[in-house]
Amino acid sequence: MILTVIQISCRRLLHNRVELLLTFLVPIAFFSIFAVIFGGGLGRGTTPRIKVVAVDEIQSVVSRNVMSAIADQESLRFVREHDADGLERDEAMELVRSGSATMAIVLHNDHGQLAAGLMADASDQVAAQVVSAVVNRSMMLSEAEYQVSQIADSDQDENENKVAVDAEGDQSDELFGIEESLQRKVEIIDVMGEGKANPVVSMYASGIAVMFLLFGATGGGGALLEERENQTLDRLLSTQMSMDQLLLGKWFYMTSVGVLQVGVMFLWAQVVFKVDLIGHLDGFLMMTVVTALAASAFGLFLATLCKSRGQLNGLSVILILTMSALGGSMVPRYLMSDELQQFGLWTFNAWALDGYTKVFWRELPVEALAPQLGVLMISGVVFLLAARVLAVRWETD
Amino acid sequence: MNYARPTPALAIHDLQKSYGDLHALKGVSFGLQRGERLAFLGPNGAGKTTLIRCLAGLTNADHGKIFLSGRPFKSHEAKQHIGFVPQEIALYADLTTRQNLEAFGRFNGLRRRQLRDRLAWALQWTGLEDRADEMVGAFSGGMQRRVNLACGVMHEPRILLLDEPTVGVDPQSRQRIFTMLDELSATGTSILLTTHHLDEAEERSDRIVILDKGMVVADGSIEELVERSVGTQRLVRLRIDRPLSSPIRAGVAEGAASFGTQGEDEISTRIDDVSSHLPGLIELVRRRGYGIADVQVEAPSLHHVFLHLTGYELRD
Repeated sequence: MILTVIQISCRRLLHNRVELLLTFLVPIAFFSIFAVIFGGGLGRGTTPRIKVVAVDEIQSVVSRNVMSAIADQESLRFVREHDADGLERDEAMELVRSGSATMAIVLHNDHGQLAAGLMADASDQVAAQVVSAVVNRSMMLSEAEYQVSQIADSDQDENENKVAVDAEGDQSDELFGIEESLQRKVEIIDVMGEGKANPVVSMYASGIAVMFLLFGATGGGGALLEERENQTLDRLLSTQMSMDQLLLGKWFYMTSVGVLQVGVMFLWAQVVFKVDLIGHLDGFLMMTVVTALAASAFGLFLATLCKSRGQLNGLSVILILTMSALGGSMVPRYLMSDELQQFGLWTFNAWALDGYTKVFWRELPVEALAPQLGVLMISGVVFLLAARVLAVRWETD
Repeated sequence: MNYARPTPALAIHDLQKSYGDLHALKGVSFGLQRGERLAFLGPNGAGKTTLIRCLAGLTNADHGKIFLSGRPFKSHEAKQHIGFVPQEIALYADLTTRQNLEAFGRFNGLRRRQLRDRLAWALQWTGLEDRADEMVGAFSGGMQRRVNLACGVMHEPRILLLDEPTVGVDPQSRQRIFTMLDELSATGTSILLTTHHLDEAEERSDRIVILDKGMVVADGSIEELVERSVGTQRLVRLRIDRPLSSPIRAGVAEGAASFGTQGEDEISTRIDDVSSHLPGLIELVRRRGYGIADVQVEAPSLHHVFLHLTGYELRD
């Protein structure tokens, strides 16, 4: 009996291609996707480079050397040339606030000594540590080189016969002193999160929200396939309702539920995690409505693309988790290589998350959301039209 | 086929439809009068569903014409006058009876007072007034069938297309459903019903159309179809008390009729008039020394007509 149960189960599994696919191929697919994202399989050699701008307010020999040393660092990418004319501290900070740069390095004079202020976007917690270390090292080496050259000149003048060993000992003492002093001269200043209560939570909230908008949308799309399978769709189309009306009705419904779902989630985030929803209501509503519209259209597109709910379930799980991984819903995109970050822009999640980040984190005016709103709206319309075209077969078969 | 009667509610002329190399309909023509109950029969794959889909506006025919009350069929207009009840329970199981009826009433263009009136009528018609606010998903198969049917007639269609409306329901529910259909028919609604229950078709329809391989192979009342196909003779079966030693001959003359087969204990034959011929046959058998254990008289039915016209070959 037990053997027969096992035998029947095996046979049923072999007969069900979708289940077979989900059982064996999907885990491999996910493993590969995550290995590519986190293991650097794709875009190897293009490790994430931190976007920086640099301002030299001193313009001394040492500060110029520091700037050159920083510019040579492979881990940094200058969004403006480090020797760009006229780049001021305020402008550099604005680039950080707008998200064009992750960090602004400002070399300035601190009571007669070279100091560096790192104007950081604290949402990228890794960047601050990396840039701090790089700047520290560059300043230390540049100042050391300068001091060594000064000592060498002085020694040559005063006592050319002094043994090299003594000089080396002196240099070591000087370097030790420089290192100590520089530790105090590199200061990280958070220009984004200051005064905000738990600001990073909003980023995670939006990441999760977008992922669940997509899951909700494909669930809603699945209702269409269910109606097709039990002939309710035939019955609906035999009434005075057209396929256009049916799809639009479902689109608006799924969007409304999505907006409500994300709204409730952010309300919870406001109450429990102190995310400032009320203060950013206009941007939040714009982003949420447009993201929900796009996600709903995507759900309908997938539903009309598939022949059965089983197919839809398999396909949607693969697509949504992949998009969420690439688009930053699971891990921040700044941890990915430049290539993957660019690739992530093909996903809903990336555009939606960029929009929410502008609203809650960068606190930019709603006009700044235009690229995100535009891309999401256009993709929503395209997916809806594609769904309409695919649904033609249900009207005429 | 009779198209002479004035302005049928539905007239189909030379309807053709193909799916690739498969010719589902090869020139189907028939009519449906106002208030008529037409049973639309055929083996699996005969083209019934394709025709129903054409009539419901769910697919377009490649060739041919459909007329509604003498006017050419236009899909949008037709939807106002045709009601479609699919074979599946095409309802929202997680809505109540009232909510389902209201939804399909709205989809069919009913609003406000008209919708309220039809809703009240439908609940009374289905006998589900006391279950109006219960979820349809919790209903028995028969109750779901009744709601399924009511959703298709909320807009008072002139023509009702029913695809196997009594599949999987008990005899009581079936009886109730046909009573409901009779009520509709009495108010002038023309009913086109597909079914594999031939007894149902025979008893509950005014006319029968049989479709096979995309063509109409019979159209008429049950009496007409019997006369045209298997004939009106009754089949008589006499079971005798022992096997025949030889066939029983009706007379000594050469060419006289003979009955039965040697070694069998049953005699089967067809007779024109049961009341006058059957007593003579029984007497003949007795005179040959056999006792009659049982007598069966079988009138030709739609079952015989159907198999006669469509054959015994499996179609799927």
